[in-house]
Amino acid sequence: MKILLIEDDSDTAAYVEDGLRQQGHVVDHAATGLDGLSRASGGAYHVMVIDRMLPGVDGLTIVKKIRAAGIRAPVLLLTTLGGINDRVEGLEAGADDYLTKPFAFAELLARVNALARRLPPAEEETLLRVADLELNRLERTVTRGGKSIELQPQEFRLLEYLMRNAEQVVTRTMLLQNVWEFHFDPHTTVVETHISRLRAKIDRDFDEELIHTVRGSGYSLGLSR
Amino acid sequence: MVSPGNFLKSTSFRLLAWYAAVFVASVAILLLIVYWITLAELDQQLSESVERETDVLAELYKSRGPESTVRAIQLRIADLRAPRRYYLLQNAAGERLAGNLPPMKPIEGEMVLPVSSLLRDRSLKSSGAMADAHPVVAMGRRLENGEFLLVGENRYRAVKAREAILQAFGWGIVITVLLAAGGGAALGVGFLRRIEAINRTTRSIMDGDLSKRVPTRGGEDEMDQLAINLNAMLDRIQALMESVKRVSDDIAHDLRTPLSRLRHRLEATRAKLGPGGERDVEQSISELDAILETFSALLRIAQIESGARQAAFSNVSLGRILSTVFEAYAAVAEDQGQKLEVGVERDFSIRGDRELLTQMVANLVENAIRHCPAGARISVSLEQDTGAPVLSVTDTGPGIPAPERDKVFRRFYRLETSRTTPGSGLGLALVKAVADLHGAAVELSDNRPGLRVRIRFLADSEIGAKKVSTSGEPVTGHGEDEAPDDRAGA
Repeated sequence: MKILLIEDDSDTAAYVEDGLRQQGHVVDHAATGLDGLSRASGGAYHVMVIDRMLPGVDGLTIVKKIRAAGIRAPVLLLTTLGGINDRVEGLEAGADDYLTKPFAFAELLARVNALARRLPPAEEETLLRVADLELNRLERTVTRGGKSIELQPQEFRLLEYLMRNAEQVVTRTMLLQNVWEFHFDPHTTVVETHISRLRAKIDRDFDEELIHTVRGSGYSLGLSR
Repeated sequence: MVSPGNFLKSTSFRLLAWYAAVFVASVAILLLIVYWITLAELDQQLSESVERETDVLAELYKSRGPESTVRAIQLRIADLRAPRRYYLLQNAAGERLAGNLPPMKPIEGEMVLPVSSLLRDRSLKSSGAMADAHPVVAMGRRLENGEFLLVGENRYRAVKAREAILQAFGWGIVITVLLAAGGGAALGVGFLRRIEAINRTTRSIMDGDLSKRVPTRGGEDEMDQLAINLNAMLDRIQALMESVKRVSDDIAHDLRTPLSRLRHRLEATRAKLGPGGERDVEQSISELDAILETFSALLRIAQIESGARQAAFSNVSLGRILSTVFEAYAAVAEDQGQKLEVGVERDFSIRGDRELLTQMVANLVENAIRHCPAGARISVSLEQDTGAPVLSVTDTGPGIPAPERDKVFRRFYRLETSRTTPGSGLGLALVKAVADLHGAAVELSDNRPGLRVRIRFLADSEIGAKKVSTSGEPVTGHGEDEAPDDRAGA
């Protein structure tokens, strides 16, 4: 995957760049807003990671300009202000996701992967299938190996999100934001509790486990890792 | 605009009412003095006129004798141009020689005769009854040979003059009152408008819009001076606020960046180390995360308190927030052996920030879950209180002692009993900040046993008065406006 990183802090940039390269991605790094804007305007990237605060042209302006130029590649905005309006402003400008600094690399990687695989809403399938697990989004039914499984509404949303990102790592924060719409870090085990309940329903009576815990990162749903 | 009700309650109205009253009173006193002086002058003129006439007749009697005097008196009585004159000439035996008054005991000098004494002599009825209905000022004089002359004039003219003066004064007072009230109201409304402009400005500043200034007229009067001074003060406050914000932004950037780098290094180190060192680094990272989280929470509270967040307000369903939080935490509570319940009597849609309101309710529920023992019941509910939405979170746990209840909203304040439980001490501070942002009141009370947290939002009727939303600004919240949700009641 070809990734553009626009980040002025050389330490953070080196850390992200190294990490992504180790995962086998091609990374272009721009250290100023202007350089970043001209590279991004070339439009040859799968995903762009853009810092919000940049010397010269700031991150929000870059996102607005490339969106105005018709470039649709997903953008992950890095925010450092701890600003509670940053997320809304970033999404309004046309960014697809945001990540507050400081972040764990695993978090960034999971989000970049999720963005790269994301399909436009119109192309989302009604029927999601992973191995013998099936989820029908319209009928809101779940079966595994032909056996119907009863889920609570939030368990259904959680499973749907995991299945849409099958074989990928999804972090705790991604689940909180996308399943519960919690844009803060709860001090209790909301995610863990629901995952374990979902596991009990999806995996307990079957030979093969589908929900896996990825140490230090989050969870993934798939045949095996 | 200044409503009449507000005007009557205002200080300027009271001042103007006093001013008008004093003005009217002084005009009235002035008119009374004029009235008394005029009346005294009229009486004086009447006495003088009577005395002059007496002198003339006495002189006539002296020079021409009684016959001429009698004729002169008869002529005068017959003269209809002097209808209010009264005469009496009597001899020493008390018999009337001429005149239109009954004989009387001779008394020298000035006197006032009551009207009734005249009317007794019906045969002598002269002019209209009207004129007779007034007392008579008279002058008596003894003449030679014991004869007695009396000349009188009734007060008809003085009374008429008094009536005319009183009427004129009455109109004068009415006009004065009208002028005082009208002029005062005009002045007062103008004054009140300027005060209202200052109030409007200070209100929007309290709501977070620091750029507002009091309008000035470029004059030199006290109101302009007040406006100029207020504006200077606001400039100073804005400069201070901006510097505080800059400092916190600088902290946010300058402190978080090195902390981020530290975190990255630790992660890199963890990857290099073998299984033994890994756990130490892991612990360092989670401690670092705790520091960063506290730090983020502080910045978040500061930003909420600055009120800037109101620009992103949209219509939010409180019932839906409650059910979201309930669905997220019911299982968590159950795992701890507690029971979480939700009760939505009726859904409310308010202007607010869904993200922050969700966090507020979640913080309260988490607090209850953390501080309550197994077996406790925690309940989240939404009710109506005199038209206002009231959100309550109650539990049957240890509660908070009454003297501590105000303090728990302070940053980093923790009860002695909960020092050992994990938590940053910022949860309730954030709850308070979010409630304040929405103009809601937070109240802690005893749930017997346990804690009851009650958050009363503004009723629709109170919203204009407290002005929660920043009017004029477009709503920039990207979150779609929500309609009240039917599912909430389920």
